[in-house]
Amino acid sequence: MISVSYAKHSDPAVAVRLCAAGLAQAAPQLLLAFCGGKHDPLAARAALREVFGPVPVFGGSAAGAIGRAGFGYSGFELGLIAFHDPAVTPQAVVTRDLLRDEHAAGAGLGAEVAGIAGEGDVVLLLFDSVAVTAPLRLHPASAIVDGFHAGFGARPLCLLGGGLLTDMNLSGGWVFDGEAVVKHAAVALVFPPALQAETAVMHGCRPVSAFMEITRIEGAEVYELDGRPALTVIERMLGLPLGGAKGHELTLCATLGEKQGDPFAPYDENAYVNRLILRANPETGSVTLFEKDFARGTRVQIMSRDNSLMLDSVRRGVQEINRVVAGTAPLLGLYIDCAGRGSARSGAPVEEAALVRDGLDPAVPFLGFYSGVEVAPFAQGRSRPLDWTGVLTVLRRRG
Amino acid sequence: MSETPQGALIGQLERELAYYRRECNDLGARLLRLQEEQSQTFREARRSRTVAKLIREAYRLADGDWTPQEIGVPMLEMIIENALCDGAALLHEEAGGERFRVTHAIGAGTEITGHRVAIPSPPEFFFTTARTPIEPPAYELTGILRLPYVLWAYDRPTGHALILGSRSESNVSRPFEPGDQELIEGALSVYIDIMLRKQAELDLRSAKAAAERASAARARFLATLTHELRSPLNAILGFAEMMAPESRYNPSLEDRGRYSALILDAAQYLLKLADGLLDYSHLEQALPSLAPEWLPAGQVLASTVALGAGEGQVRGVEIRLGLVEPALELCIDPVRFRQVLHNLIGNAVKFSPDGAAVEVSLARAEDGGATVTVRDNGVGMRPEDIPRALEPFQQLDQQAARSLGGAGLGLPIAKRLLEAHGGELLLDSAPGHGTTAMIRLPAERVRERPQD
Repeated sequence: MISVSYAKHSDPAVAVRLCAAGLAQAAPQLLLAFCGGKHDPLAARAALREVFGPVPVFGGSAAGAIGRAGFGYSGFELGLIAFHDPAVTPQAVVTRDLLRDEHAAGAGLGAEVAGIAGEGDVVLLLFDSVAVTAPLRLHPASAIVDGFHAGFGARPLCLLGGGLLTDMNLSGGWVFDGEAVVKHAAVALVFPPALQAETAVMHGCRPVSAFMEITRIEGAEVYELDGRPALTVIERMLGLPLGGAKGHELTLCATLGEKQGDPFAPYDENAYVNRLILRANPETGSVTLFEKDFARGTRVQIMSRDNSLMLDSVRRGVQEINRVVAGTAPLLGLYIDCAGRGSARSGAPVEEAALVRDGLDPAVPFLGFYSGVEVAPFAQGRSRPLDWTGVLTVLRRRG
Repeated sequence: MSETPQGALIGQLERELAYYRRECNDLGARLLRLQEEQSQTFREARRSRTVAKLIREAYRLADGDWTPQEIGVPMLEMIIENALCDGAALLHEEAGGERFRVTHAIGAGTEITGHRVAIPSPPEFFFTTARTPIEPPAYELTGILRLPYVLWAYDRPTGHALILGSRSESNVSRPFEPGDQELIEGALSVYIDIMLRKQAELDLRSAKAAAERASAARARFLATLTHELRSPLNAILGFAEMMAPESRYNPSLEDRGRYSALILDAAQYLLKLADGLLDYSHLEQALPSLAPEWLPAGQVLASTVALGAGEGQVRGVEIRLGLVEPALELCIDPVRFRQVLHNLIGNAVKFSPDGAAVEVSLARAEDGGATVTVRDNGVGMRPEDIPRALEPFQQLDQQAARSLGGAGLGLPIAKRLLEAHGGELLLDSAPGHGTTAMIRLPAERVRERPQD
């Protein structure tokens, strides 16, 4: 059995007690906790220990949490997922080496998971997104996930996940690694083979340019598009200069998208891998992406966030999940929601998290968190890190 | 012309492609801008709605079962949730002005609750941005939450202030601006309004409880008074009648002397009772006006102990005074404080067996205050009876009261007098193990004697 609970309080001890009261049973075998980033992580961990005893706790900071009872991104939310039954409780594998080398750490994690995960098993990957705050550098999910795949091997796997943030401003992030509060860590939770996941990836971006080729790129830094400074190209599109603080606002409006499959096939939101723009760099004429998985020669389009598209996508995705799990006995609905989709940031007239919460079959125990990046199976293939998406997964027993 | 028809077609297709690319990019750019304008408009509208939402949600606190002190944190939670900032705090101006105490803080700066900050000439509204020079009052205000971007409002008449802070000006934490005055002042005024309302409710409840207590005390008073007055009056009347010239008893000279002594005892008891009643009645109606002065603690204790020593000798009870720091001074009303101490020592002596000792001592408290302790090893009382002992006319052991005297007003009077000093009276007791009475004085009434 899996139970979920949500609470909001500025005192983490009170939030934990409120959450504990909302759980179906008192003594879980494992806890997954998503803790608002304004909470003191050590105080939150101590409160969890005091209420639940020595039960291992995984998860970490979240820009906000989403539950049936409420949702928000004030930083005082707490979402708990409690696993009470060994038949549904995941095994955990942890690496604390992200700062040294994200790819190598991911590979180590993947290799260790390979030892316990079977073909098609469900694995939830969580890690702290922010590597360094000044200047801001993220732990690139693409490096971690590529490394994970390299370490795990070619067997099929349902890899899901999210980057953990303390807030929408990318101020920090931390991880509950089972025992303690740590940074620069990734946790892989390997679910028992008897479970399978149904996943819908909700998007919200639309191409607003012709294809352009990345002609110069270093890591996550895109210098040129079609031989012209990338920033000039984007500024021209937006019709405004992006120097100074405005560089950060790019995150709010545009992404670069790579279309998978036939580039001239009709628009399909599921065909795009979007990369958020972390900042504009007027000195170099470049833009820094959240991830570094684009390369020289990658053909991209400038994508506009489209709030109505986002909301339509959510409605469709939830409807699809409800259709797929109808008549089964779902164990858990987990929503990994890009923090930027919250209406305070996206400007959407409706909170899309509310659409998920209200639209998902009420029989499904549901919990979500606001993340920095999402990881999900992409185009029936390997899982990839995704930006500006909502990943809704329902766990159920294999039929 | 060397161009072939195929070449011309390719050229036309290339031009057409370029045209469509250009149109696609132009239309895309317009779409992007429209989308962004729409989002921006919505974000602006959201900010406007924030004020209304905050006020609506905050007023719900008025219906909750909160004390005025307790509404601070939920109020800040609502403010942070709606304003999406990194930290927030409520402050209250201390007497004298320009110094504020942080009464509540959440988010970044939680640890500053209880801290005091100096803000010379506090502005009624202020905010900082990346362009604000770090000079007063920006310097002081950004130091409160230790965040660079702050929004501040101060309500001069009530002395309450609210500050919000952000780490950055980008993304959701946009720069603060003059338009935010509505948000911060709205939030602060709602907080003050609810708090005053809660305070009024609390005062009302407290007044009601006091009225009920007074009513119960009056009922007890009437019942007790009847008994307390009748017994000595009966004795006076009875013995006076027996000694009257036309009395049929015709007492002997020796009996007359005994009766006179009994009449005198009863009259003295009545006088003591009347004094106690007057004193208590006065204290019940209003806090006594004290005339406090700084006095050497050792001297106050020693003189009061000496006063009680006579009664101790009569009952065979020794009163011991512990060591008191010579430089320690108490800011007390000398008459009233000695009255309290005398009452406690008198009680301790009264309830101690022959040959026992009563210990009087003084110790400094961790908070800078002081505790005067009067400890006896007498009959003691059950812990559950202690609250009753602090109420008027509540002699726990009526039989002992008869034999030992006292109308049950000493402890209630002592309690009221100590409350008037800003202190409190605590009792710790167990049957057969004696009673410890503790007088706690706050830090502002205790000091080391200033050096000349």
